[in-house]
Amino acid sequence: MSKLYVDTDKYGYQSELAPVEAYNSAVKDLLRRKFSNSDVPWEDFVFELEESLVTKADMIAIEARLLAFGHRFEPSAMSSSQERPEAYKDSGLFNEDFFFEHEDAPTADIDDIGRMLRGAGDNVVNHENNLTGIAQYIRTSDKVLKYLADGVPENTIAIVDDSGGTLTAPILEQFSGVLCAGGTTRSHLAILTREYNIPCLMNVKLNGIKSNDRIEVEVTARSKTADDYASGVSTLAKIWRL
Amino acid sequence: MSKPEITYSQLLETNNLIQQNSDETYWLCATRTVQESKIFPVSAYILFSYLNCFYRFPELLKKIEANMSAEEVGDRARNSGIKILAWTIPCFYLLGREMLINWGVIKPTDAVEDVVYVMDFWKRFQLSWHRNNGGLTNKQGGHRAQIFPEQKLQVFHADAFECELGDDLHTSAQEFMATVAQYGFLVSCESRLTIHNHGPYKISDNREMLIRDFRELSEYDFPWLDDVANELDYNNLTVAMIVEDTHITLLDDWGSFEAEPELKSEHIKAIGLWTADNLTDGHLPVGMGNPEELTATFKNLTEKVKEATSKLWTQMAGWSRDQQMDAGALNYFACAKELAHIAGCYEMKDWMMIDERAERFRPLLNDEYGNLFLGELVGMITQPSQMAHGYTMAQHTDKPTKGLSFIPYSILKDEPYTSGVGPIRGGVTNLSAKVDRYRTSQGFMTQEQLNKECRSFTMTCCQEKYRLLCADWVKYHYDSELADELFRIEQKNSRNLKDRGAGLTCQDIEHMRLARVEKA
Repeated sequence: MSKLYVDTDKYGYQSELAPVEAYNSAVKDLLRRKFSNSDVPWEDFVFELEESLVTKADMIAIEARLLAFGHRFEPSAMSSSQERPEAYKDSGLFNEDFFFEHEDAPTADIDDIGRMLRGAGDNVVNHENNLTGIAQYIRTSDKVLKYLADGVPENTIAIVDDSGGTLTAPILEQFSGVLCAGGTTRSHLAILTREYNIPCLMNVKLNGIKSNDRIEVEVTARSKTADDYASGVSTLAKIWRL
Repeated sequence: MSKPEITYSQLLETNNLIQQNSDETYWLCATRTVQESKIFPVSAYILFSYLNCFYRFPELLKKIEANMSAEEVGDRARNSGIKILAWTIPCFYLLGREMLINWGVIKPTDAVEDVVYVMDFWKRFQLSWHRNNGGLTNKQGGHRAQIFPEQKLQVFHADAFECELGDDLHTSAQEFMATVAQYGFLVSCESRLTIHNHGPYKISDNREMLIRDFRELSEYDFPWLDDVANELDYNNLTVAMIVEDTHITLLDDWGSFEAEPELKSEHIKAIGLWTADNLTDGHLPVGMGNPEELTATFKNLTEKVKEATSKLWTQMAGWSRDQQMDAGALNYFACAKELAHIAGCYEMKDWMMIDERAERFRPLLNDEYGNLFLGELVGMITQPSQMAHGYTMAQHTDKPTKGLSFIPYSILKDEPYTSGVGPIRGGVTNLSAKVDRYRTSQGFMTQEQLNKECRSFTMTCCQEKYRLLCADWVKYHYDSELADELFRIEQKNSRNLKDRGAGLTCQDIEHMRLARVEKA
């Protein structure tokens, strides 16, 4: 079988991440076969001939082979696992009892003033006073729709998975605070909460905070800058259950 | 095999531009994680868009230049605003190339003339966009973007209204900027392409001005805004935000900014609102008669934007994954479509379709692979094509990596290469058909009308008489009648500077402002 140009590589061997390598190897294998069977020089194969020989059906077959090994994809968008439950892991998004149990969340026993440390994150904007409120996990568009219809209860501190600004777009301004399990203080959600002047921590690690818990967030902590990220400086703001 | 028509010099420059983008891509991505959303398969659609860019940009950029040069497009964009193009055009295209190299679909020696052309187009556009500060990118200017000429800055400086934390104007402006930013992220499918910032511009020892562009808010190119944004009277809005006692230390090529001390609401001390598109003669004031009018304008716009946000969110939350993929990918891919509008050659079938060649790869782009592959390409820099020899120390990481593949110089000797991907192919979309209705400053138009109007209109400052009258010319000719004419073009809609001509300095404008404040 013909070798591909990238098969001879002095410095690069394979992708760092196994699922990426599985896909990329499969596509390269497909190209090797198609090119070999074409019996033309590469310059006559690439673009025009390749375009007709390498098809969408080939890509569907690659995915089918991976799924046949029992692999199931980690979902990001709600639609992915809803439309193809056979191909994606259960997102768990609709589990009403869900709460984060990050192993690397800082935790401690009750302190002198009755607070139990249950996590930390990167502060977006330094505020004068810490924030207290009621935690609510917001993980699905169904929950957003409910709040859109009924209004967000006062003093709600939203706990969200992703650093994007789209899931909570129509109700974001009604939250008194936001804790986001992903992203950085430069992510979209951070930009938006800064614009709305809503206290927010990004990249939070939580363990033991459930919906309806009363919590305190240390938004008086120093905000984390691009330089802090670039130089690996830790500037964690704490989160307590009250 | 094509005969080499590319010179060693061209290749050196192309690879230099590739490397600049490679280094900056890492820096931009290192401070953000992979962007995820429960509504959109973001990483997957980003990869999809990269492929579409690789297959479509070469022909579509050439189509623009068949009507207007990249430099002239840049002149007009500089004076009326544009979406983020500094990073998007080259990197979306080159990352598509990198994906295909790692799949073995192409070699680094394929589509060589395309790569040289796309990078050259981008360079010429960027140099024109950055003409007033002489850079290629914000990075080159120390993460700063001073785009506007003095005459436009003077009008924005002079006409912005003073405000204080807690007063009506401050509150309404802040709420508008938050609401429109939120809407912008939704319009752009979780990307920030609707929002662009440039500056900072020096106002005084303790004041700086930031220009904030919110673009494509109404019914225009995106099918998903048909019947959603029809209440929004302005497609583009520009906010001039003057801040005090804080210094904007960084404004990157994604339009993000940072300030020291940290920018907070109380730092905003003056605000103004304008609109511009390809058919306005510069920026037109919006609600700028007095502070009360501007406050009411912000409030009215905020209500309309909120309504559009709810309608759009409801529509998007009901989309299929394929529709989400298409909208996200087209939003990214079409970052450059405004250039086609400027040149009067925009066609929906060019910019709002996924090329058949990219469409083939859709089944690969599940959420998990999307996140991980994108993470390797732009964050970890660990794809095989990105590995360099062991002595290499990459900027920022010191690792032996190179984020974007060069074109090998061996093609100038005897290594075979191919020239390009050829004409764009048919396109597909799962989205609703675009209504042939485009919001402009001159009312709604069809695509054909809009192209015709754009081709026949040249804003005054870009006409031959004025186009090359730059800041260095003004410096030595400010007392001439021609310089006065040049400044009056921008001043004609100004509340405070109408017909004042070219003689005023930044300090004069600031003295005028202080006198007004004292009088009030």
